[in-house]
Amino acid sequence: MKKQIKNTQDVSRKDALKKIGNYGKYTTLTAIGTYLILNPQKAQATSPAGPGTGF
Amino acid sequence: MKKNSDFLYKNLEDKTIAWSESSNKYLILENTTALIFKKLNTGVSIIEIASELSKELSLPINKTTDFVTNLKQEINTLKTEKDASVLKKDTNINKPEKFEFIKYYKINELVFKVEFHSEFELYLVHPKFEHLEIEEINIHAHTFTIFCEADFIYFYIENNFIGAWNKNEIHFFQGKFSMELIQKIHQKEEKEWMGVFHASAVSNGKKAVLFLGDSGNGKSTSLALLQANGFTCLADDFVPIDIYNKEVYSFPASISIKKNSLDTLLPLYPELENSAEYHFKRLNKVVRYLKPNNLDFLSHLPCKDLVFIKYEKNSDLKFDKIAKIEAFKQLVPDSWLSPIKENSQIFLDWFASLNCYQITYSENKEMIATVAKIFNDEL
Repeated sequence: MKKQIKNTQDVSRKDALKKIGNYGKYTTLTAIGTYLILNPQKAQATSPAGPGTGF
Repeated sequence: MKKNSDFLYKNLEDKTIAWSESSNKYLILENTTALIFKKLNTGVSIIEIASELSKELSLPINKTTDFVTNLKQEINTLKTEKDASVLKKDTNINKPEKFEFIKYYKINELVFKVEFHSEFELYLVHPKFEHLEIEEINIHAHTFTIFCEADFIYFYIENNFIGAWNKNEIHFFQGKFSMELIQKIHQKEEKEWMGVFHASAVSNGKKAVLFLGDSGNGKSTSLALLQANGFTCLADDFVPIDIYNKEVYSFPASISIKKNSLDTLLPLYPELENSAEYHFKRLNKVVRYLKPNNLDFLSHLPCKDLVFIKYEKNSDLKFDKIAKIEAFKQLVPDSWLSPIKENSQIFLDWFASLNCYQITYSENKEMIATVAKIFNDEL
C-alpha cells in the first residue's frame, strides 16, 4: 500500500528558524561547502559496449 | 614573483568551475567558496580567511576555521594526486612471428595496414572499420600491430610500442587505437585536441551538433535516423574536437546498432538485414554495424549545440533548453579532456559558449523536425 504522508502542521519560516535555533546559521556553511568533483576519463576510451568486450 | 596557479576558474551560470592542473579534475563550487579557494591558492592564511568569513556570516571563528581548513585539505589532495597510467611498460615482449589476419583499410587517400595476431584481436577492431577494407596493396602509409600476451593487449605502430592494456580495459585499448587513427588521418598530435567526447556528431554540411545520452537512450539510433533524413554522420561514439578551431573532426567508424533498433531502422537500411551480427554475451547485447554516410573523413565543422537525447516509448515530444551546469556535470565524467592547462581553459570557454538542450521523443519525425530547427537556428 502506498504510504500517505499528510502535512498536518503549517510551519512559518519564523517558527522554523526558532525551532532549529542557533544551528540555523550553520546551514550557510553547509550550503557553500557543498561542491562536486568531476573526473574526466584519464585516457581516450570507446564505449564499453564496443566490439570485443563480450568475448 | 607571482606563483603560477595550479587552478583555472570559470563562471558558469550561478556557479564557479575550478580546474586542477595536477589532478585534471573539475570542481563545481559556489561562488563564495571559489573566492576562498582563490585566496588559499594565492597564499592567504587560513586564519585571515576564516576571520573574514566569520564576520561576513556572523559565525563563530572556530566553525569558519574548520571550514577553511577542510577546503585547504581538499586543495592539497588535488595537488598531490597523480594519474594512474593505463599503460604498461614494454617489458621484453617478443612480437609474434605470424599474424593470422592482415587487413588494409583506406581512409580518404591514406592506407593503414593492420596486423592481428588472432581472431580475438581482429574482433576488437575490425567490425567497426570493415566498410573501409580494401584488397592487399604494397603501398601503405602506416602499419598497426595488435597481439595478446598473457592478460595484456599490445599495440605497436611502425614497430614502436604504443601501449599495453589489461584485457578488462579493452575500451581503453580501442580508445587509443581510435585516437592514433584520427591523429594520422588529421595529422595532429594528442596535445592538439581539446578532448574526445562520448557522443554522436551530426552535420548539415555547415555545422555540427553533438548528441549525448546514457547507453541505451537511443543515441546511435537517432544518429542513424538523422543520416537517413539528409544529415551526415561525422562521428559516432568517439568525437574528437580540435584545440585551435574548436571544430568537430570526423571519425570513420561504423555506427553500432542494437538489436532492439532493427525494426525501426530496417525500412531505411535494408542492408542491415544481412549484415553480420556480433554477440556481446557479457553485456547481453547483440549489435550490427551500419556504415556512416560521410564521404569525406577529412571534414571538420564548428559546433555550438549540445543535445541530450532520449527515446522513450509513448512519450510526447519534450524539448527544452537545459542549464549548462547540468550539462557540464553529465558531459565531463564521460569524456577525455586534454590535461594541458591552456587546452583546459579553451575547453571551459568553449563549453560556456554552447547551447544545451534536451529532447525526449517517441515519434521519429518529430525528433528529426526538432533537430532540423536546431540546425537552422529556428528556436
